[in-house]
Formats: sequence, C-alpha cells, structure tokens
Amino acid sequence: MPEADANREPSPPRPWSMLRTFHVAVDWCEPLVEWIIRICGWSAILFVFAIFFFVFREGSEMLLGGLDLKEFFTSPNWRPDSVVRPQYGILALLAGTISVTGLAMLIAVPLGLGAAVYVAEFAGPRSKETLKVVIELLAAIPSVVWGFIGYMVLGPIIIWATGAPVGINVLNGGIILALMSVPIIVSVSEDALRAVPDSYREAALALGASRWEIVSRVLFPAAKNGLLAAVLLGVGRAIGETMAVLMATGHAVQIPHSLLDPVRTLTATIAAELGETVSGEEHYGVLFVIGIVLFAIAFVVNLTADLVVKGIRGEKHD
Amino acid sequence: MTEPNSDCLQYFVTGTSEEEPRSSSDADGSREQPFTSLRQALEALGTDTSRTPSSDGNRGGPTVMLTCIARAGASPPPNGTPSHQYFVDPFTPARGKGTEQAPWDSFEVAYAKLTDLARSQQLALRVGDRLEICCREVFTATALEKWKNIKEAIAKYVFLTMALTCFLPVVVILTFLLVKAWPALSVDFLVTNPQNNLTAGGIWAPLIGTFFLVLTSLLVAAPIGILAGVYLNEYASDNWITRIINLAVMNLAGVPSIVHALFGVGAFVHFAYMGRSLLAAACTVAVMTLPVIITSTREALAAVPMSFREACWNMGATRWQTIRTIVLPNSIAGILTGVILQVARAAGETAPILFTGAVLYVPIADAGWEYMVPYGPNDRFMALSYHLFALSTQIRGISDELLYGTAVVLIGLVLLVNSFAIGLRIFLRSRKKW
Repeated sequence: MPEADANREPSPPRPWSMLRTFHVAVDWCEPLVEWIIRICGWSAILFVFAIFFFVFREGSEMLLGGLDLKEFFTSPNWRPDSVVRPQYGILALLAGTISVTGLAMLIAVPLGLGAAVYVAEFAGPRSKETLKVVIELLAAIPSVVWGFIGYMVLGPIIIWATGAPVGINVLNGGIILALMSVPIIVSVSEDALRAVPDSYREAALALGASRWEIVSRVLFPAAKNGLLAAVLLGVGRAIGETMAVLMATGHAVQIPHSLLDPVRTLTATIAAELGETVSGEEHYGVLFVIGIVLFAIAFVVNLTADLVVKGIRGEKHD
Repeated sequence: MTEPNSDCLQYFVTGTSEEEPRSSSDADGSREQPFTSLRQALEALGTDTSRTPSSDGNRGGPTVMLTCIARAGASPPPNGTPSHQYFVDPFTPARGKGTEQAPWDSFEVAYAKLTDLARSQQLALRVGDRLEICCREVFTATALEKWKNIKEAIAKYVFLTMALTCFLPVVVILTFLLVKAWPALSVDFLVTNPQNNLTAGGIWAPLIGTFFLVLTSLLVAAPIGILAGVYLNEYASDNWITRIINLAVMNLAGVPSIVHALFGVGAFVHFAYMGRSLLAAACTVAVMTLPVIITSTREALAAVPMSFREACWNMGATRWQTIRTIVLPNSIAGILTGVILQVARAAGETAPILFTGAVLYVPIADAGWEYMVPYGPNDRFMALSYHLFALSTQIRGISDELLYGTAVVLIGLVLLVNSFAIGLRIFLRSRKKW
C-alpha cells in the first residue's frame, strides 16, 4: 500500500559507530579471526612444549654432559657449594618429597574421600552448597599462606605437643600439604560420585540397601576410576607444591628417620637455591635438571589421571 | 479398613447421651441392641476380653469399629474415612498417643485411654461418626533393619566428622590469624610504604606491585585463554588433536609452580631478554593461570544451548558471526567468572615470581604519580605474596601484627575476589533463562 508507506515515518539513520565498523571489518576477515582462535586453541600445547623446551635448554648442558646420572639419582649427598668436589645427589631430596607427600596423602585421602561422600550422598541440599563453596574457597588460599601457617602457627604447636627441637619438619609439611590437597581430592571425587548414574542408586535402594551399603557396595566400585584420579591429582598437587613445603619442612637435606626430622624436597631445593646461582654454572644447570625430573613426574601423574578418567567414560558407553 | 473382614469387629452406639446405660445385659453392641453411649461401649469392650481382638503380630489385621447410629436398628452410614482413628502396634514402646506415629501397644491400653477421654468429655461421637481402632499397617524395623539403620547413622556421622576435620581446622586457623592481625589492620596499613628495613610501616608497595602483576598477567592471559576456550568449545572437533589440547591444558595446570618459575627464567628472563622484570613475572604467571581461564570459558560457552547457534546459522550467519553475536554475549558473565578466578590465583602465586622479577625491597615514592604507578614493565617489583614469604623467613625482629596483617590482607584479597566470582556464578545460575 503506497499510502501507508508514505505515511510511515522514515527511520532515523543509524549513527555511525566505530564498534560497528570494527565488527564489519572483523566479519570481513573471518578467516584471519578463525586462524587467530585456532592458534590460541593450540597455545596450550605450545606452552607445554615451551616449558619442556626451555627447562631442558637450561639444564641440557648438565644433563647431557657433566652430570653423573647414577650419582644424581642414587647419592644422598647434596653438596652443590662444596669447593673441593660439588656433589649432586638427589636421593635425600627425593626421600624428602616422598615422605612429605606420603604423609600428606595418608591424611588427606581418607579425609578427602570421606568428605566427598558426605557432600555427595549424605548432606542436604543447603549444606551441600555451603560445603562446596567452602571447598572452593579453601582451594583458593595461596600456597605461601599455607607455608606461613605451617611456619608460624603449626610449628610452635608441634614443638609444644611433641617436644621436638624444631617445629618445621615432615609432620608439619605433611599436615599442611594434606590440608592443601584435600579440596582438590574432595571436588574431583565428588564429581566422580555424582557421575554415577542415579539408576544405580535406585536399583540398590529397590533391593533394600541402606545409604551406607549404596556407598560402599555400589558407588565406590562404580566411581573407583574417578576416585583414583582424584587421589592422583592430589598427589600431583602435593609433589609440585613449593612455597608451603619450603616454609614448613625445614631445610635439612637428609633422609628422614622419623616424622619429626626436618627435610628438604625437590621443589623447595630449587626455590631455595636458584637465587644464589648464576646462569650457566653447574649448580644452576642441576637445578634445571631437577626441574625436568619434576616436570616428568607431573606429566606422568597427570597423564595417568587422564587415562584413568577416560577409562570411566569408556565403561559408561557399554 | 473400609472393607469389613473377619478380623473386623463392628459395634454400634446410639447418640452421645451421657445418661446412665439402661442395662449392660441387653446391649451387646449389635445393630439391634447398640450401646447407648461411647463410654458404655468402651467400658464394655474393655472388661470383656473375648471382644478384644488379639494383637499379637497380626499386623494390619484386627480392627475395632464403633459406628454411631441414630437409633437401634437404623442402617449404618456408608463406609468412608472414619472420623476418629486410633492405632495399636504391639511392636512399639508402651508410651504412645494412639496416633499412627506413636501407637498404643495393645487394645487394652487403647480401651482404657479412650474410656478416660470419653469420661472427660474430650471424645464424643455424633450420629454418622465412626471410631476405629486398628492395628498399624506399616512396615516397622526388624532387627536386621535396625542394625542397618544404626550402621547408616554411624556412617553418616563418621563422614560428617571427616568433612568437618578437613575444614574446621582451617577456619579456626584463619580466625586465629585474623585475631592476631587485628591491631595492625587499618587503611593506613594498606596505603603506607614499608619502612625501616621492612620492620615497620604498611604494605602499599607490595600491594600495588601485586595489582600491576595481576593486571599485566590478565592482559596476557585473558585474550589467549578466552580464544582458546572458544576454539575448544566452538571449533574443535572430537579428534586426537583436541584430546592432546585437553591433555596439555590439564598438564599446564598440573605442572609444579616451581617448574613454571624455571620456564619463566629460561624463556622470558633469559631467552626473551626481558630480564628480571614485572613483564617477565607477569608472563610466567599468565602461562601458569591460563588453564583457569580456558576451563571456565569452555564451561560458560558449553552452557549456551545448541539451539541458539542453530537458529543463528539458519539465518545465514557464519560460525564467527554466531560466536560474536550469540554465543559470547550469552556467556560473557561466565567467562568473567573465570577471569576473576584467574585474578585470585595470580595474586596469590609466589613461586613463579621468585626468580622472574619480585624482589625484597624497592624504594618507591610516598606521594604523587610515582606513588600510584611505581613500577614500569621493565622494573623489578614488590609483590604481596613474596613480601609475606620474605617477612616471615628472611627478616628478623618484625612485629607479629605486621606479619599477620600482611598474611591476612593477602588471604582476604584472594578470598574476596574468589567469593565475588562464586557469588556472580550463583547469581547467574539463579536467573538463567534457559
């Protein structure tokens, strides 16, 4: 209808907009944008390789020559500052890492799994939400703060309770690491428990199982891969933790004989000594070799956790 | 018990009159010779044991029904829900109220109690009412079941204790820190520079250093992380390269922070000739916190329904136009949550900045422009996390308030930013439109 068209007010011209021009331009060069996105997507791979490459680059000189690998892995003598003959044996450091991580896992795994079961199966909807928020906040506490807590709060408590000469030792580091890795264990295993289909629970209920029987006989077997992955991630976090163990485990390079011996872990060694070394010298290179060892451990742990989790997905399709 | 059966004993009552019963002999409760009052009926039933059904475990079986009719011989009202219902269950403890939840333990008790009620005028039947005393028809716990329930309760409380053991100590410790730090906490503490070899003054220099560190790392990590999330959720097909990317993201998150520090030293400080500087430290932290942004961006994008995209594609939009006009605007808040989480993470990291730029002390101006922007990208800087580490392990003769104050400010900062992100997420979930 021409009259109607004539009566209609002409819409005001759109104001020229910089943003609009930008959008038009962006749409016009869509292939470019897609390539940028693609590269960013691949950046994670790039960074993992870059981490390996640069750590290896700095440590390669020592790793490929200079360093006696047999001594490196089997000698408990870590004497990088010796003028006569510096010795680079990481056995004591490995023992430190293993003892602290082991103790931490002994505490954190049962507690973490128990807490996850409570959150996933027993808690009411309100307390469940609250607990999950608390877990998330706990996971956010920076590691240096945990170190501070170990050093300033837990240390004196341990001296008071056990009469040990120093409060920063395996026990302290273990407790701090346990508290640190509990949130990740809880959240990952809670996910794993929640991923068990409700039909499993209903079937068990229909057979007259109590909640505890459902948890112990149905959920644990069904979610075991996810729970294992949770434990592995907890171990990964504990092994890689730096600042907390640096401050809470003491500085004695030794193979611990009791819970109250101070130790030094691999990560703490790098953190404590890298500042004193100069790029290019032996000690500097060896610290990077330790970095490679840590990278390898972390890679294996994460890869295993990933494969274990993928295992669950595979099962579910059956 | 609407269906009268062999176990159902039916009696009739006329009226509610409280006059003395004519004689108990000619009233046997049948329709022709009904009881004249409820009280009489109950007393008669209570004294005559032959009229009491046995309640020895015949669950749901015997029922006593008292129906109130207008006169002798009148037809009873149609069966319906009884107006008064009382329950008996021999398997319960003796103290009961006659309700379904707390039944009496036998019919004798029921008669006695009801007679008391009828005497005290608290219970009366009108014409058409029906009073029923029946055995409770429910499943009650057998010994095995009770044991199961006990086990379940034990399990529940054990797990609750475990959960509380994980969290309560931390809450106690944080409260302790707050109490110790309380005297030091003030605005002055935040905005004053450290003085006198760090043993006095406030924490402005490290605080602003952390701010610039976080800002710079955000500028590096946010674009890469968000675009990577977009790639993984929108472009990547389910093939081996995507699987490797996922593995890489997981690894990036799992590599120890000190290895990130070594990477920063090797790549940014030495290889890229940045030296130990704010920029090098920020880049290191950015790489380290990248997974946080990637993961949350992915989740946010995945929450946008596929139908939105399909509708947009049907309009002829390209993939990128769809992302720009539909997917990103609908998920921007979720992405923001990830970015905020990255901020919290970056603010707390210490190991990656140890050797890439953070130093113990940088003298900065007490006022003016230099006070607000004390560090250039190539300067070494102070950061709150490193400051806390240095104060507690390397500086002697420092007051507790200062030390705990620094710790509490760092924790407070991180938890505040995190709570903000969590709050945002909860808010978004509550007003989600699809």
